[in-house]
Amino acid sequence: MLKNIRKIDNRKMEFMPEVDPFSEVRLKGEKRWIIAHIFHGTNKFIVLIIFFGTILTSILNSALNIIIGVAIDEFIAGIGGRLFHYVLVIFIIGVGSPFLNLVNNLLRETLAQRMERDTRQEFYTNLLGKSQSFHDQQRIGDIMARTTNDVRMLNFLISPALSLIFESFAALVIPIIFIFLFFPTELLFAPLVFTVLFLITLRSYTRKLGPVTARLRGEFGQMNAILNETLSGIEVVKGSSNEEYELKKYLRNAHSFKDAFVEQGYIMARYIPLLLIAFTITFGLGHAIFLNLQGSPSMGIGQIIAYVGLLGILRFPTFISIWVFAIVRLAISGSERLLEVMNKESDIDENIQGRTAEIVGGVSFKNVTFCYPGSSQPVLLNIDFEVQPGQTVAIVGTTGSGKTTLTKLISRLYDVTEGHVFVDSVDVKNYHLESLRSQISYIEQDVFLFSSSIFDNISFGKTGSIDQVTRVAKEAQAHDFISKFPEGYYTEVGERGVQLSGGERQRVAIARAFLADPKILILDDSTSAIDSETEDRIQASISNVLKGRTTFLITHRLSQIRWADLILVMQRGTIIAQGTHEELIKTSEEYRKIFIKRFDLREEQLLKMEVT
Amino acid sequence: MGWGLGLGSEEYDRIYRDRDLVRRIISYFVDHKLQMSVVIIFLTLTSFANSLSPLLSREAINELETTRDWGYLLLLILLTFTLNGLGWIFNFFRQRNSSLVIGNVVLKLRQDVNTAVLNHDLSFYDKYPTGKIVSRINTDSQDFGQTAELTMQVISSFLIVFVVLGALLTINIPLTITVLGMVPFIFIIALAFRKVARKRTLEGQRALATVNSFVQESVSGISIAKTFRQEKKLYNKFNGVNEQSYRANLRRAYVFNFIFPALSIVQGVALVLLMWIGGEGTLGGHIKAGDFYLFFQSLWLFFFPLLSIASFWPAFQAGLAASERIFALIDTPPTVLQDEDRILDKIHGKIEFVKLGFSYVESSDILDREKQNYLPEIARAKVFSNFSLKINPGESLAIVGHTGAGKSSLAKLIARFYEFQEGDITIDEISIRNFNLKAYRKHIGIIPQTPFLWADTLENNIKYSKPSATKDEVLWALEQAGGADWVEDLPNGLETNIRERGALLSMGQRQLVVFARTLLENPSILILDEATASVDPFTETRIQEALEKTIEGRTSIIIAHRLWTVRHVDRIIVIDHGKIVEKGNHEELMEKGGHYATLYDTYFRHQSLDYIEKTRDYIKAVKEGN
Repeated sequence: MLKNIRKIDNRKMEFMPEVDPFSEVRLKGEKRWIIAHIFHGTNKFIVLIIFFGTILTSILNSALNIIIGVAIDEFIAGIGGRLFHYVLVIFIIGVGSPFLNLVNNLLRETLAQRMERDTRQEFYTNLLGKSQSFHDQQRIGDIMARTTNDVRMLNFLISPALSLIFESFAALVIPIIFIFLFFPTELLFAPLVFTVLFLITLRSYTRKLGPVTARLRGEFGQMNAILNETLSGIEVVKGSSNEEYELKKYLRNAHSFKDAFVEQGYIMARYIPLLLIAFTITFGLGHAIFLNLQGSPSMGIGQIIAYVGLLGILRFPTFISIWVFAIVRLAISGSERLLEVMNKESDIDENIQGRTAEIVGGVSFKNVTFCYPGSSQPVLLNIDFEVQPGQTVAIVGTTGSGKTTLTKLISRLYDVTEGHVFVDSVDVKNYHLESLRSQISYIEQDVFLFSSSIFDNISFGKTGSIDQVTRVAKEAQAHDFISKFPEGYYTEVGERGVQLSGGERQRVAIARAFLADPKILILDDSTSAIDSETEDRIQASISNVLKGRTTFLITHRLSQIRWADLILVMQRGTIIAQGTHEELIKTSEEYRKIFIKRFDLREEQLLKMEVT
Repeated sequence: MGWGLGLGSEEYDRIYRDRDLVRRIISYFVDHKLQMSVVIIFLTLTSFANSLSPLLSREAINELETTRDWGYLLLLILLTFTLNGLGWIFNFFRQRNSSLVIGNVVLKLRQDVNTAVLNHDLSFYDKYPTGKIVSRINTDSQDFGQTAELTMQVISSFLIVFVVLGALLTINIPLTITVLGMVPFIFIIALAFRKVARKRTLEGQRALATVNSFVQESVSGISIAKTFRQEKKLYNKFNGVNEQSYRANLRRAYVFNFIFPALSIVQGVALVLLMWIGGEGTLGGHIKAGDFYLFFQSLWLFFFPLLSIASFWPAFQAGLAASERIFALIDTPPTVLQDEDRILDKIHGKIEFVKLGFSYVESSDILDREKQNYLPEIARAKVFSNFSLKINPGESLAIVGHTGAGKSSLAKLIARFYEFQEGDITIDEISIRNFNLKAYRKHIGIIPQTPFLWADTLENNIKYSKPSATKDEVLWALEQAGGADWVEDLPNGLETNIRERGALLSMGQRQLVVFARTLLENPSILILDEATASVDPFTETRIQEALEKTIEGRTSIIIAHRLWTVRHVDRIIVIDHGKIVEKGNHEELMEKGGHYATLYDTYFRHQSLDYIEKTRDYIKAVKEGN
C-alpha cells in the first residue's frame, strides 16, 4: 500500500503540540502502526494481562469440565466422600472465574477505548498540521468518516477481536500440547497439518476480504461526504427542488456500500477452514481407530474419544475466526485510510528554527509563479512588486485573476512554485511559520464563524478581555448590532454564523483581525456585504487601523483604490500594470476602464479631470 | 468556546416505548421474512450440530467396543465427516442471508431517514449542526443493523432453549426444576441492566456525534485557524470532545461487560446446586447415574443460549437507542406544512404579503423556557409583524435597507424556506401554503448571498437545476452571466471538478456560476440576494446588463446594497426593522429626500469621483486627528 514514501520530517508539520511517538512507524504500514499502538506505553501491560487472563480463564473453564466429569464418574461408581469438596471447588471456579473474566473485560475495554481515543487524537492533530493546500483537496464528510468511524474500527479490533484471538490461540495450542503429552506422537499429524493449512487458508481469507473491506470503508467515506455536502447546501437543494436528485446521489452510494457489505458476507460464507476442520476431525478419528486396530496399547476406546474430543476444541478458533478476521481486516482497511491521510506530505515547512523577529512590514514578490499542487496550470505568473512598510496596496482585476491567491502566498498558506516572496527582505520560507502568521491577519471574503459566541469568535485569533473585545467591536462598527442582542457578546451565532447577516459576519471578522493587531493586514473584499452608510464609519476605523501597518486591499471600491500607495492591476494571473492612481490613469488602459465603466465617462473626460 | 460539550439530547429527540420501537423495527424486517427464517434455522442447526456432534461421535465410538466390522467403521467416519462438514454448509447459507438482510434493512433505513431529513425546512438546519445529523444517518443506522443480527440470534436461542428444556424434562424433572429456578435471576439481572445500558448507549452515541460535528466544523474553518495560528485552540477543544467520547463510551463498555460475568455467576451457582442435589441424589439412589450424567451434558446446551438471550438484551438496547435516535429524526414534523398540493404549470408572479407576522422560531418554543435557553438569542426576535406588500406580475422590486433589517428574510419566506406565524403570503392569489412545494420552487430562482457549489464538474453545477440542459445551453447561460472566457483558464474547462463549495474558483467566479445556474432554470420569480457583492467592476457591468435582460417579463426581487443595481427597477422599498418605511421608484424616492435618498447619497458619494478625491483628506484627517 505504501510505496515510495519519503521520510517525513516532523518539523515540516504546521502544527505539532507534543512529541509524536508514531511518526516513524506510520511510514512502515498500517499493520506496524496498529501494533505500535497496541504496545504503546502502559498499553503493553494491559495486553499482557489480557493475554494471560484469557488463557487462565480458558484453563479454568476446561478444569471445571474435567472436575465435573471426574465427580460424576465417582458418583456413578458410588464414591460420595468427596462430594462436598467438589461442590466447593465448583463454587470457587464457577463464581471466581466470572470475576476474573470481569477484570479481564474491563481491562480490554479500557484498552479498546484508549486505542480509539489515542489514534483519533493522533489523526486529528495530524490534520491540524497539514497545509491549506492539503485541506483544499479533502472532502469534509470523508474526513469526518475517517476521524470518527474508521478510527472506531481500531476499538473493535481490541474489543472483541484481540481477546478472541488470544482465546483462539489457547484453543489451538492447548489440544496440541495435550496430544503431545498423552498420545502417540504420530497423532500430532492431524492437528499440526490442520494448523498449517488453517493459517494458510486464513491468510488467503483475509486477503480476499482485503479489497472488500477497503471498499466498504471507502464507500462509507463517500457516503458521508455526499451527505455532508448535501446538508451543507440544503438551501440550494430546496431552492432548486432537487431533493430527489440528492437522495438518488446518496442512495447510489448507500447501494454500493450495501453491495460491498453483502460481498463481504459472501466471502465469509465461503470460508474454507470450516471444511478443513471437518477433514481434520474425520482424519484424526480414522487415524486413532487405525492405531487402535493395530493394537496400540495406549489407544483404547476411551483414548479415541478423548483424542477426538481434543480435536473438537479446534472448532472454536476455526469458527470464531470467520468473524474475528473480518473485524481485523476492517481495522486494517480503516487504518489504511487513516495513514493515507497522515502520510501525505505536508508541503509547507514549519521551520521552527526560522526567524521570529518582529516584522516591520516590507513585502516584495520576485518573479513569483504559482500553480496549485497537482496542477501545472499557473494561477500566478512572474509576479514582481515591492511594498514599503506601512504602505497600502490595492489589488484590482477581473474575477479569477489571482488576487486572493497572491495574498495567500504572503502568510504561506501556500508556497510559491517558483520565485520568492520576501517580508522585510527575508524570504518567507526562512521565517518560523508560527511567528510569520501571527503577525499577518487575513480577513477572508467568505467569512467563517465558529458556532460559538460572538465573544469567542472575536477573540479567536488572540485571547482578549471583554473590554478589549468591545473596543475592537466598536472600531469594526459591530458593537451596535451586538449590543442589541439580549445576550450581547455572549450570543451564540449558530453553525457558520447563520444567525448573522452577511454584513454582520464581516464586521465580526474585521473585529477579530483588529484584535490580533497584525503588522500586515490583508482585507479580501471584506466589506462587500456592508452597506454604504456603515462602511463610511468602517472606512474611518480601517484607515485608523492602517496606521503603521502594511495593508493589502482586494477591493472594488474606488475610494479605497484611489488612494492606495500602490495599485496592482491583475489579469489572468499576471500584473499588467502597477503604480499609483495618478500614474495608472495615464499609463494603463485597463485601469482607466474601471473608472470609465463606472461613471459612463469617455476617456478624454477622465484624463482631463485628472489634470484639473 | 461553546462547542456543545454537553451530551444533552437534541430538541427533536423523543422517548419511544420499547413496544412501539420494536413494532417499528419489525416493520423493516417483514420484507425479509424468508431470508431471516433461513438465517434463524441455520443458526439453530449450527448450534445443535456443534453441541450434538461430540455427544454423537462419543456414543458412536463407544459402539466400536462391540461392533468392529468395516461397514460400521466406514459409517462412523462418514457420520463424523457429515456432522462436521455440515458446519460449512450451514455457515454458507446463514452468512449469505444474514448479510443480505442486514445490508438491505440498513439501506432502507438510510433511505427513509434521508428522505425525511431532506424534507425538513431550513429552521431545522439552522438549529441542529449538520455533523450530528450526518452521524445519525450514517453511523446510527449501522448500529441499527446490528440489532438485525441480534434479533435473529435471540430467536434462534429461544428455539434452542425450548427444545433443550423439553429434552431435560424427559431426563429428570426435579433437576430441571432446579435449573429453571435460576432462570428468573438471569432475567432479573438482564432487565436490571436494561435502563442503564440504554442510557449509556445513548450517551456514547451522542458523544461520538459530537466528535463528528466538531470535526466537521473545525475542518471547515481550518483556514481561519491557520491564518490566526490557533491550531492549538482547536487541538485543545478537540481533546476535550474526544476525551468526553472516550469516557462516555468507556462507561458504556463497562456497563456491558458487567452483564456477562454477572450472568455467569448465576450459572456457576446453578452448577453448584446441581452438583450438590444431583450428587446426593445419585449417591442416595433417587437419581439414575446415567440420567445425572446426561443431564450435565445437556445443561451446557441449555445455559449457553439462555445466557446469550440475556446478554443480548442490553446489546439489543444499543440497537434500540440507535433506532430511537433515527426514528426521532424521521418523525420530527417539518414546520413548513402545506395545506394543499396544487401544481401550477405557469406562475404569473403576483406576490402579496398580507399582515404577515414572522420570527425564526415557533411561538410555542418561545414560551418554553428550557427550549428558550437552547435557542440562539437572535432567533427569538420578531422579524416582521403586520407586514403587508403587493408585488405585481413581472414587476421588478428592489428591497433596500441596513444589514439586519429583514431583507433576506423576506426572500426566504417567498421561497417558503420558513413557516410564518401570522397573516398570509399569496402567489397568484393562492396562499403559498396551498402549493406543491417542489413544483412551486421550480418556478423560483434564488441567487443567495453566499454562493454554494458542489464538488462536481462546472458543467453539472450550472445544470444543477435543469439536468437536461445541453452543453450549448450551459455556455449560453454562462455567456449571459457575464461571459465564459474565464472557463478556458480552468484545467479542464467545463469538465473541471471545482471541489467542495467551489473552492477551486474565486468568489466572483462562484457567483457567476450561481447566476448562470439560475438563468438556466428560467424561473418565473427571481430573487437576488446581494448577488453582485463580490464581483469586480468589469464583470459587474456585464452581469448588470444580463440582469436587465433577465428581469424582463418575470417578477424579480433584488436585495442590494449596491444601489447602482437598483436604479432601473420598477419599484424600490426601504425596509427598516421589518417595516416598510418608504416606497416608490428611484426618481420619486430621490425627490422625497428621505431614507432612500440618504442611503443613495451615502452610497453614491462613495462612487462619485468627487468623493474618491476627497477620501484622501478624510483619511488624512482621521490619521492626523489620532
